[in-house]
Amino acid sequence: MNDNGCIHLNNFKAAKGTNPYKIVHAFFVSCTSFEARRYKATSCLCFTCGQPGPRMHSCLHCIYFACYGGHIQEHSKSKKHFLYVDLSYGNIFCGQCQDYIYDRELTEIAMAHKLKQAKSLGISMPFMPWLPNSNEAMALRRLRKRRLISVHTTIGLRGLQNLGSTCFMNCIVQTLIHTPLLRDYFLGEKHKCKAQGSSKCLVCEVSKLFQEFYSGAKTPLTLHRLLHLIWTHARHLAGYEQQDAHEFFIATLDVLHRHCMNGVEGNVEKPENGRCNCIIDQIFTGGLQSDVVCTSCSGVSTTIDPFWDISLDVAGPGSLQACLERFTRAEHLGSAAKIKCSNCRAYRESTKQLTLETLPIVASFHLKRFEHSSQIDRKISAFVSFPAELDMTPFMSSHRRAVDVGVDNNNAPEGLFEDNRYSLFAVVNHLGSLDAGHYTAYVRQMKGNWFKCDDHMITRASLREVLDSEGYLLFYHKTVLEYDCEVS
Amino acid sequence: MVNMTVNNTIAHQRLILSGDRERFKELLRRRLIECGWRDQVRVLCRDAVKENESSNVTFDGLVSKVTPRARALVPDTVKKELLQKIKTHLLTQKEP
Repeated sequence: MNDNGCIHLNNFKAAKGTNPYKIVHAFFVSCTSFEARRYKATSCLCFTCGQPGPRMHSCLHCIYFACYGGHIQEHSKSKKHFLYVDLSYGNIFCGQCQDYIYDRELTEIAMAHKLKQAKSLGISMPFMPWLPNSNEAMALRRLRKRRLISVHTTIGLRGLQNLGSTCFMNCIVQTLIHTPLLRDYFLGEKHKCKAQGSSKCLVCEVSKLFQEFYSGAKTPLTLHRLLHLIWTHARHLAGYEQQDAHEFFIATLDVLHRHCMNGVEGNVEKPENGRCNCIIDQIFTGGLQSDVVCTSCSGVSTTIDPFWDISLDVAGPGSLQACLERFTRAEHLGSAAKIKCSNCRAYRESTKQLTLETLPIVASFHLKRFEHSSQIDRKISAFVSFPAELDMTPFMSSHRRAVDVGVDNNNAPEGLFEDNRYSLFAVVNHLGSLDAGHYTAYVRQMKGNWFKCDDHMITRASLREVLDSEGYLLFYHKTVLEYDCEVS
Repeated sequence: MVNMTVNNTIAHQRLILSGDRERFKELLRRRLIECGWRDQVRVLCRDAVKENESSNVTFDGLVSKVTPRARALVPDTVKKELLQKIKTHLLTQKEP
């Protein structure tokens, strides 16, 4: 099978060009407009038997729709119109070759229409497998060494030396290294640095770190260069005492984000709708919507702020979902906290509600286990259960709105096709007391395998063990990734 | 019975018109990939081609050979989800 079509199709193309196929495809296979959908809905019935199937085809020589249950074949034979198009998939059947045939030029037309259709319907772009370009194909031929990855491989796992209370750093590094999309980015060598070789760029350092983790070596790594870089760029973390892993996580994302901006990564520097497009923001940034409702005029003032993680109160709830439920509940601000209502032009009592307007690819939750007040600093060890699979739909702004106006969201059409499922891939735990503590991390590596990272020691763990752990920072990865529609 | 066919055709046309047919197709495609169905069917096709290596394999031949087994492999959970979602969707549609 090749994609050069057949002699019959090539003759047809020479005589009539690609236009007949283009029109049939744009109107009856991948509808590129509302008008096209109307034509498809009303006219795609078999001209012989009046049924919408099975497997409708359209003649490429004249206007004739018929089913594959024998009627399109009848038409083809009697009129000697040998080429016809399958209306479900857009493939061309040649009656003389007696099979479907594939033509590169027409396949490209079909792909362009598919993208246009996906864009017009707001659905994710169809997945296209990676095809090596000529450079990549050459590189693959040149590099003969192959490494077979088995299910029981330990590749990608390495311990990290403790440099004197640096377990807070080690557990965050383990988490970042095991973030699936970040791994794909770095192993794909997508970071192109302006400041090449200056060894000041944290993104370059992380890139090198990924190479170390995946080199196949098993000895623990020492992260003094990374630590030094972060000390230089986030001065508040410098020093040899134990730091808060959450603070370190946010500071690291911030430095990485700033260094990405200095790089020359494609369109990083043209922020899309005011938002940065660097890899950190693409993976970790979500939008938090805050609705303040005036209690006297019911006027709503809405703001949306970017977030990298969500900090949740742990006193009370008992489960992550309950924490999130409380986080997104409308809260009465009371008479002591009046806000100026732009509608009433006066200070009014109001309610405030936080919801998630857009979700990041990696959802990071910070359980507020450390309480710092003027009287007391303490650790809250309350048990909070968290699931391996989490559906974020109930905490979305669109869902909350639907619930408020009394619509059962299961029936709302936009909720039907949304996929907000997440799966757990890393958990950072704090053991011990506030001043004498230790951090460890559980990470998921390969499909469904969990490992406990305790500085230089890596041990196999079970999912049960992970879910039973206390949990300080929880990291979830979107289960299904949408593809962007880029239509040129 | 006749009435039923007319209703079915109208429902079908409405799904195409709104673009929801494509959305359901995409949802189904995604679920079939997630549950491993696509990979299973790919193996079935590969085996069928290997068996007939000497003779000319046609699309129709492959379809008739693989379809019964491929249909049986679709998990009930996927069928149920799609059925339930299409049903709720059609019932909540307003009359145009």
